[in-house]
Amino acid sequence: MMSAAQHAEEAQAAAEHVGEAEHGADEAFNAGEVIIEHVSNSSLDHPILHLPSIAGIDFSVTKHVMMLWLVAGGLFVVITLATRRYLKQERLVPTGFMSALEWLVQVIRDSMVLPNVGPKFVNTWTPLILTLLVFILVSNAIGLVPIFEVLGLVDRYVLSNAADSESLINSVLHGGSTTTANYNVTAALAIITFFSIIVAGTMAHGFVKHWKNLVPSGHPWPIYILLIPIELMSMFVRPFALTMRLAANMTGGHIAILSILSLVFIFNQVFESALLGTGVGFAVAVPLAVGISALEIIVVMVQAYVFTLLTSVFIGMAINVHH
Amino acid sequence: MDNPLIQPDPGLFIWTILTFLVLLFLLAKFAWGPLLKALEERQETIRKSLDDADQARQELERLHQESAQIIAAARGEAQSIVAKSRVAADTVREDLKQKAKEEAEVLVRGAQRQIQLETARAVQQIRHEVVDLSLAVASKLIKKNLTQEDNDALIQDSLTQIDASQN
Repeated sequence: MMSAAQHAEEAQAAAEHVGEAEHGADEAFNAGEVIIEHVSNSSLDHPILHLPSIAGIDFSVTKHVMMLWLVAGGLFVVITLATRRYLKQERLVPTGFMSALEWLVQVIRDSMVLPNVGPKFVNTWTPLILTLLVFILVSNAIGLVPIFEVLGLVDRYVLSNAADSESLINSVLHGGSTTTANYNVTAALAIITFFSIIVAGTMAHGFVKHWKNLVPSGHPWPIYILLIPIELMSMFVRPFALTMRLAANMTGGHIAILSILSLVFIFNQVFESALLGTGVGFAVAVPLAVGISALEIIVVMVQAYVFTLLTSVFIGMAINVHH
Repeated sequence: MDNPLIQPDPGLFIWTILTFLVLLFLLAKFAWGPLLKALEERQETIRKSLDDADQARQELERLHQESAQIIAAARGEAQSIVAKSRVAADTVREDLKQKAKEEAEVLVRGAQRQIQLETARAVQQIRHEVVDLSLAVASKLIKKNLTQEDNDALIQDSLTQIDASQN
């Protein structure tokens, strides 16, 4: 484990990025540690808000918990306000953000949930799918915006707080801001999917019939010796795959961007030339990072879409059993 | 487990589930539910108004056909009325013509008889005048006044002669 001071230093280095090359010249730069610090959660040893452990589980509010709340709170406020305005209007045809919201609801209902889940349960599962989609999408996307890095620069150079000071801003700088890059978060979301599948099957066919539906009926018994383990395995593999796909995609993109930006500091340090480091930054690192960021925008949307689409497909498979 | 990338964090795991479930509940209650309902209502409204429009169009078509039928019927009736009245007028005219002809004939016949009568009377008068004149002339000529009987006999005689010569 790193000491608190080291922690703060690494966070600061991560926050400064390009343009601060000459500053980092006299400190040892460890690209691996900076990147890991930047894509992982803040340490449980230094939470933003320390909460007591219950049954051995530390409920302290770390960076990712705070980000979850920020995303959830922001989504709730924006979407609820837009909905209220949407419902209040007299006209039949909405405009602006409300029409975008309506488009989203309609597209998700008609081309994602309806074809998979069927007309009977479409209104039951559309809210879940919509919430999953906006939650994952915004969580993914917010990681691409360097809010805390800008906050760190302001803290250090405008408010002139030391890197290891106990200021409020400094306390939220540790750790990455992409919650969906943390597999604990994606596993929790996948668990939601896992239980949604069981609930969907139970609502459509009854609890016992749902489990019977996992395997096709009317085959000789030796087949079931093979089938039942396979189907049980697939039941658990699905949420596991959802977990890993989302977390790995989000982590991967950030690591790629950060690795390329680290080139600035590595060149700076290896050749002991701030000019070379900055030159590499402008000539190679920033253009490449911009390109990968553009790619990341697509990945962010695709991964949110894939997670929700697969969830609705799985729920649909539990409701409309085809064997 | 030193690598923070693969560090299990049950606290975060449970916080995520709680946060997501709360967000799901709130959004479902305040946003998605009302939105889905509004969408469905609007869909229903549009479908209903389309249906209404279709019905109205059919109704219009029906009314159109009906009015066309009514107009056609009215036109037929009018034609038959015209034809009938033409026939009636013809009859009336024929009657009037006939009557007028008859009246004219009656008038003409009466006039002819009148003329004949007048002619006969005139001829009779002229005859008497002629006789009187002849007598006056003859008596002046012969200067001898015959007796009344002789006169009458003579008049009668000459009248007979004239009648005989006329016939």
